[in-house]
Amino acid sequence: MTALPVERGTPLIVLRNVNKRYPTAAGSFAALSDISLTLDRGAFVAIVGSSGSGKSTLLSLIGGIDRVTSGEVIVDGTAVHTLSERAMSIWRGRGVGIVFQFFQLLPTLTAVENVMLPMDFCNVWPPKERRERALALLDALGVADQGDKLPSRLSGGQQQRVAIARALANDPPLLLADEPTGNLDSRTAQSILDLFARIVEGGRTLVLVTHEASALRHASRAISISDGRIDVPTPNAVHA
Amino acid sequence: MLSPRWRKVLRDSWLHRGRTVLVILAMAVGLAGAGVILNAWALVRVATREGFGASNPASATLRVDSVDDALVARVISLPGVRLAQARRSTVARVQVNGATFPALLFTVQDFQDIRIGKVKLESGAWPPEDGGLVIERSSLDMSGASIGDEVRLSFGDGAPINVTVRGIARDVGLAPGWMEHVIYGFVTAETLSRLHAPSTLNELQLVIGDGSLNQEDVRTMAFAVRRNLEAAGVPVRDVNVPVPGEHPHAAQMDSLLYTQGAFAVMALVLSTFLVVNLISALLVGQTREIGVMKAIGARWPQIAAMYLSVAVLLGAVAVALALPVALIGGRAYAILKGDLLNFEVQRFHVPAWVIVAQLLVGLLLPLVAAAAPVWQGCRVAVNDALRDVGLSSAADPGSLPQRITGLSRPILLSLRNAFRRRQRLALTLLALSMGGAVFLGASNLRASVRGATDVMFAGQRFDIALRLADPQDPDVLERIARAVPGVLAAESWTGTRGTVDHGDGVFGNPFPISAPPAATTLLSPVADPGRWLAPGDGRVLVVNRALLRAEPSLQVGRRATVIIQGQPSEWTVIGITESGPSATAFAPREVVAPLATDGRATSLVVSTAADGDGPTLDVILRLRAALGDAGMPVASSQMMAESRRVIEDHLLLVVDFLGSVGWLMLLIGGMGLASTMSLAVLERRREIGVLRAIGARHESIFALVQVEGLTIAVLSWALAIPISVPISAALAVAFGRIMLRVPVTFVPEPNGILAWLGLVVGASVVGCAWPAVRAMRMPVAGALGWE
Repeated sequence: MTALPVERGTPLIVLRNVNKRYPTAAGSFAALSDISLTLDRGAFVAIVGSSGSGKSTLLSLIGGIDRVTSGEVIVDGTAVHTLSERAMSIWRGRGVGIVFQFFQLLPTLTAVENVMLPMDFCNVWPPKERRERALALLDALGVADQGDKLPSRLSGGQQQRVAIARALANDPPLLLADEPTGNLDSRTAQSILDLFARIVEGGRTLVLVTHEASALRHASRAISISDGRIDVPTPNAVHA
Repeated sequence: MLSPRWRKVLRDSWLHRGRTVLVILAMAVGLAGAGVILNAWALVRVATREGFGASNPASATLRVDSVDDALVARVISLPGVRLAQARRSTVARVQVNGATFPALLFTVQDFQDIRIGKVKLESGAWPPEDGGLVIERSSLDMSGASIGDEVRLSFGDGAPINVTVRGIARDVGLAPGWMEHVIYGFVTAETLSRLHAPSTLNELQLVIGDGSLNQEDVRTMAFAVRRNLEAAGVPVRDVNVPVPGEHPHAAQMDSLLYTQGAFAVMALVLSTFLVVNLISALLVGQTREIGVMKAIGARWPQIAAMYLSVAVLLGAVAVALALPVALIGGRAYAILKGDLLNFEVQRFHVPAWVIVAQLLVGLLLPLVAAAAPVWQGCRVAVNDALRDVGLSSAADPGSLPQRITGLSRPILLSLRNAFRRRQRLALTLLALSMGGAVFLGASNLRASVRGATDVMFAGQRFDIALRLADPQDPDVLERIARAVPGVLAAESWTGTRGTVDHGDGVFGNPFPISAPPAATTLLSPVADPGRWLAPGDGRVLVVNRALLRAEPSLQVGRRATVIIQGQPSEWTVIGITESGPSATAFAPREVVAPLATDGRATSLVVSTAADGDGPTLDVILRLRAALGDAGMPVASSQMMAESRRVIEDHLLLVVDFLGSVGWLMLLIGGMGLASTMSLAVLERRREIGVLRAIGARHESIFALVQVEGLTIAVLSWALAIPISVPISAALAVAFGRIMLRVPVTFVPEPNGILAWLGLVVGASVVGCAWPAVRAMRMPVAGALGWE
């Protein structure tokens, strides 16, 4: 994994008066209400909350996966909420790495090919270097020997490591992880969290949505959300 | 090395290889069908153009009493005449291996130097020698003769002579003998003399201009030749000017190919519905993958390119399979068409543009078909795509199937399942029902053709027609005939040829005039508009539709100047009838005979008590003998049942070609149904698992899939019936233009409807067999765990 030069403590993510509403058959549903938030570079941020509290929605808005109903989302100086679909795709591919709960590896591609895929889409790395880089990432995550296997042949932990390698493929400064350990046993989950901590030490910013109390041990900041609102601002590091 | 995303494209295609293969096959069938017709059209076009052109066909033929070298030389010296040649055509009979056929024998001035309507020797000896016969190739199969065989030729009531078949030759200007049920042959003037047939050459064939003239220009120049000859005291009986450079049957065959081509293209378009189904299913199944790819930076055009490339890949493989089949099939079909037109297809080089067209259609059509579902699938928002819960949630079958009650639960489930993917159902139904509509259209056309032939022959109440060697007294003829055992009624008719005078010194092509007695009881066709002949009629004409097409001025109530035996006379058109594909007019014998044959009759028509070909033939032999004994030799005889068979054969051949496209579409529709059901099984794995878990047996699962397929098949059958109405009407109109006016059918032919039901049900049972077996064999745990 490449270590990024980072000016820790400077803001990377700024959310101002963010609202997100979803239309439902029963009327408009407020997933997030008036969220204002600043997250610093190099931080390991844990977003916690009960199911349906809005934490995954918050992650989606930061990652440009979804759009705000109102408010502003600024990531690394880019006003994400103003980007067109095309610009959003390009920005997302180069600026954000996303890790999902169910890994979401493409089943017909091998592990190494899954890691190469973002490079392929975003053209950040020259074609000749892509495989080498993908293997290096897998190696750094301890699954280099699984590179030529299809996802169905890998364990959950191995799949999540490959998914993390894929998230790092284009060397993004920001990593977003939506309950990445939710589908893993506790031992594997712990190893994944350790891995995230190492990634943050390397200079990246991580925003992690989790249910797991153990994740908070690694986090430099925890944000609790319930009913679409931030509960208690916790400006200082939390070590449970 | 392929990048990961293209590897994904390949592996996804491989992952769904069953359906992929099905779609490729369906497309290949559609492409091959269209390709066969396109290639055949291209080959036949070149062959007819080159072959017919190379034969140097006559621009005009003048019928005179006698042509000698001096007359030929005189004509060649006239302006615009490039070539002239004398010929004689003789109607005779030929007996081969005990079977007797009518024969048309050609005799020319110099067989070694035929300059107009060149004949090509295929095998044996040329030129025909005295006492020898060279058979035209298209008559060969029908005659059963071969080189070296001895056959018996006879003319009129003259004694037959034995001649030896010396060679086989091809005359591309002749309509095929097998189709016309006539043996064409080439004999010398000496052979005609031995037959006691006239041997004087009486046709003057001309090549006028440089090939750039149209029919009217040629006609003008041919009539200038006629005037010149008549000024020199050579009477010209008639002038025939065909469309320059066009084979007599070329327009029919072109129209047939266009019609078939249109249906083949329809089959091709239907096969692309399968592409839509496959790509749609792929996209629906991969919605979450699309979301993931977008989340990791893919732009929608990149994703769209991946799925569109699947369509191109399908098209490319289908093209690769279809092109060789189309080339081989096109060659075979071109040879068949060549046989129909009596052409030899020698060059099998399909023009490059034809190949390129097939390539482009094969590659672009699936691309176009896939565009809409890909656009729809790839534009999905990332968050929506990631939230997608997968295929198993799909599908509200709508309110209509919910209303179906009173059936067992499994049957209800099958019925309702059929309506769950409505877009896919619509495409599958469209493919199957269009196939059904074409099949029913062809079936209706077949019934219409039979009906039209019935109409054509309905008024014909005689079984035998005898042409006399020389005109005879009509009353004596009838008296002799009525005395022959087996004869119920007899009428003497006069036959002649007429030409419409257009009033500007130019005349139309000659047409035969059949002249029964005005009070005829043996011929009473329906005339509509207008009426049929009646006792007391004067110079009135009833014309058939083929003549009306050639001479549009011959409308009911209109007067026309008709030249008969060189003399103009005024006639009034009183009716239009259907009487076959050749131009013909009818007029009262009492009026025609004095103008054409000094009041005498040229033929005899007879109704008999005989049942079947054999007894009818006996009556013919007795009639021939009786007339021969009375010094009234018969030149040729014809059984009307045979005539009807010839006409029906001609017409039904075309209908059968159209019907074959219906079969092609059934094949494609069946594949579409199989593809739809295989997708349905895949998508409902979990449901099937649940059914199995709650006790459904193997047979129930098998029946579930089969009943769903049958529901779609029966629906498509019901839809095909109304769709077939406009298709039948269009076919009847097209057929009427090409061949013969047939009644437009608005009520589908019941046998066709039942046959299609049987076929579509059969296709459904076969097409759904594999998906049903797969569903049946699905392990419960695996099916329940599937997402």
